[in-house]
Amino acid sequence: MTKTIFEKSQVDQHAYSLPKDAPEFTEIHPPEKLLRHSTLNLPEISEIDLTRHFSELARRNAGIDNIFYPLGSCTMKLNPRVNELCAAFPGFTRTHPLAPEDSVQGNLQIIEELIEILCKVSGMTAGSLTANAGAQAEFVGIRMIAAYHAKHGDVKRTEILIPDNAHGTNPATAAMAVYKIVSIRTNAHGDMDLDHLRESVSERTAGLMLTNPNTLGLFSPVILEIAKIVHEHGGLLYYDGANLNPMLNVVRPGDMEFDVMHINLHKTFSTPHGGGGPGSGPVLCNDKLKAFLPVPRVEKRGGKYQILWKDAESIGNISSFHGNFAIYLRAYLYAKLHGHFGMRRIAEQAVLNANYLKVKIGKLLTVPFPQPCMHEFVVQADKYLDKGVSALDIAKRLLDYGVHAPTIYFPLIVKECLLIEPTESESKATLDRFVEIMTIIVGEIESNPELVKSAPHTMAVSRLDEVGAAKKPILKHV
Amino acid sequence: MDFISNKETQNKEMLQAIGVKTVEELFFAVPKELRLASPKADDGLSEYEGIKLMEALAAKNTFPQFDHYLGAGAYDHHVPAIVGAVCSKSEFLTSYTPYQPETSQGMLQIIFEFQSAICALTGMDISNASLYDGSSACAEAMLMALRCHKERNKVVIAESLHPHYRTVVEQYLISHQTQIEVIPFLKDGRLDMDRMKQLVDDKTAAVLIPYPNFFGVIEDVKKVSEYAKKVEALTVVCANPLVYGLYESAAEIGADIAVGDGQPFGLPLQYGGPYVGYIACKQELVRQLPGRIVGETVDTENRRGFVLTLQAREQHIRREKATSNICTNQALAALACLTAMLWYGKEGVKKLALTNYQRAAYLKKRLQVIPGVKIQESAVYFNEFVVEFSQPIDQVLAYFRKHHIEPGVDLSRYFHEMDHHLLVAVTETKSKKQLDHYVLIAGELG
Repeated sequence: MTKTIFEKSQVDQHAYSLPKDAPEFTEIHPPEKLLRHSTLNLPEISEIDLTRHFSELARRNAGIDNIFYPLGSCTMKLNPRVNELCAAFPGFTRTHPLAPEDSVQGNLQIIEELIEILCKVSGMTAGSLTANAGAQAEFVGIRMIAAYHAKHGDVKRTEILIPDNAHGTNPATAAMAVYKIVSIRTNAHGDMDLDHLRESVSERTAGLMLTNPNTLGLFSPVILEIAKIVHEHGGLLYYDGANLNPMLNVVRPGDMEFDVMHINLHKTFSTPHGGGGPGSGPVLCNDKLKAFLPVPRVEKRGGKYQILWKDAESIGNISSFHGNFAIYLRAYLYAKLHGHFGMRRIAEQAVLNANYLKVKIGKLLTVPFPQPCMHEFVVQADKYLDKGVSALDIAKRLLDYGVHAPTIYFPLIVKECLLIEPTESESKATLDRFVEIMTIIVGEIESNPELVKSAPHTMAVSRLDEVGAAKKPILKHV
Repeated sequence: MDFISNKETQNKEMLQAIGVKTVEELFFAVPKELRLASPKADDGLSEYEGIKLMEALAAKNTFPQFDHYLGAGAYDHHVPAIVGAVCSKSEFLTSYTPYQPETSQGMLQIIFEFQSAICALTGMDISNASLYDGSSACAEAMLMALRCHKERNKVVIAESLHPHYRTVVEQYLISHQTQIEVIPFLKDGRLDMDRMKQLVDDKTAAVLIPYPNFFGVIEDVKKVSEYAKKVEALTVVCANPLVYGLYESAAEIGADIAVGDGQPFGLPLQYGGPYVGYIACKQELVRQLPGRIVGETVDTENRRGFVLTLQAREQHIRREKATSNICTNQALAALACLTAMLWYGKEGVKKLALTNYQRAAYLKKRLQVIPGVKIQESAVYFNEFVVEFSQPIDQVLAYFRKHHIEPGVDLSRYFHEMDHHLLVAVTETKSKKQLDHYVLIAGELG
């Protein structure tokens, strides 16, 4: 039975050391009446036990470095260690966010140059790196759209259009900015239903949030028509860059007529996913929306980089300082290593790997959309339902074979779906092995469905009681 | 360079299996007029060249050569060596949100322990898995309070909250057309309690108080929370978590929601991010908490395990009805924060907080006696305080910088009338020798 670090506590043990106090320090006492009286219930633990605790927890976890991790819409590509090496340089880690600008010219150069690179790959003209993740960047984009309409006295625009296959963050973001969400249907080909879009768009439309390729891994061939319809009605277009990986230097959101967008650096630009963050969500836009970008911003004047802390039309701040600097500096290096040449290769290989896997897996599972995909694709496990086996069961059985499960039951509009994204990193041998494992699992479904239904069998734990966890929540050590 | 495994040989086989001749064909859906031409020349770098590039950029930052006293929401603490060792473990570094709990027990337990440690420090009942940073934690707390008080659309915020945090709160609230009232501060940096009583009323959903405030002053939060309780407004305390090693916990001073930035534990300054926001609350508010929460449960064989729980609050389930749009949060930064909290442990956190207090108090005491230097004495401080010089601040900064000291945050950038004032932060990293040197230079200015 796994123990928490709190349960490993041993009286009077500790790991810390502190610089020696001078007598002049210790003779000063804080005011008695404000001192903490309650016990501080943190563990007492030595450094070796603390070290082993985390080693033990590491054994109960798996990342890209350990296993194939084809989690759709998450772009689990290699996290190059050179990024980690450089992000740890003291020249970066020891800079304070309020340091005088002439003492942090290196940081400011990275900010300015990364925005320039991202503008070039996105077809936008300006950007900001201050949002701390994709969802926060979406909020920035929607706030910028609101500011744009407000400036034009266009106060009746109270709706945001969002396709029914969108990432959950899109409607949640629009709701945070108090917009009414109008959901747009997907047609039988996996593309946006243009008739439904035409019916839904109006003088109340503030904008449309869209990812292209969409969450089915399909690029919309009518994207320019979509943009035209929304723009003709005075709405703006937001591009959710979660699926940008197959687009790098192939096609640009700016050229698709989007007005504002974000990029998830932990996806396309390989910054570590970290067990769920930190991310970083650069916001990029065209000239229409440039003035509304958040502050602080970096400008180059007379060969020197300066920080603009305030700007009249800006929507203002979105994070405490400059965003997740140590994350986007990794992305900067990743972009520099690839160059625009290498970035194009990323896109092409991601698409090639995904299509290869799709053709192979398509022989085992239902393929709802047969056309070539971009970086990811959807398959359905519906033909095994009569054996009592669901997409969830297949996902769990994959774990036993040393593969992380794909995204399951998303997008919500496809029954029993698995969303698979292999990324450009993976070798053909890994993809072939995945197909082999899937073949074995399909065989197991035929011969011994119980084995699949009760998977996983080789993990630290078997299936967990999620209902029980929510019914009687235990949310901390007591 | 790139990190692509498959080369010409494999690609040919794969193209054949797909039944196309070129990769270009797979992009058939992309309208021709939108497709870019392939870049001809390889403009990438080798790994070695990349490292050299980054070394050169790091060298352009001269700031690390200064003995600096900057705080204001980002503090220069020692980061224990174990933090880097733990956070660079590939099982944590390269995994993602624990959607498949059976293969993510390590990270789930880490989040559970982070939640437990935040609750231990703040004295609150429930914590989430993390938010982005201190400013967004304040903003999320305000939105949370407004959800708890659906009939109220007013919040009251101390003017002494970090000015950046306040603008982020405004950013999150602006679309809700929430009435935001600001409690001014007195000359010594403390909250104007009379104004507080006028502003906090039965239309107020929450009152947000920093602890210590932007000027390093420990506010009398109890007085505020007692008053807020009478009108059923929620008290939100935004704190440097290290303060709880010394002064009363959020629970003791009457907080309903405790938020702040965990950076002082385990996260280097790194130019402002990543840091880690925390949010903790009383039991009865749990359904309104934003973001991920991990709970304990059992598997089919009754073995203990951990899962993401209470997910009916979240965007991937509830979409526009979610409590927040947050998805990716700051998991690895939360792990850094947890590791540092554990390395200090029960006694170490208290000792760390005390020595921070004492070193700051020592510098304050020494500066106070310099003619021409003014420090307000009626307030109680933690590890940061305001110093007023007789000279204009530009002169003060220039003189200190000549001696390779960055002496504090120039407050005139936030409050234009404070044009002789510095906000000075002192942590355990400052020796007596450094502090005495600071005093010497200040004396020469005197």
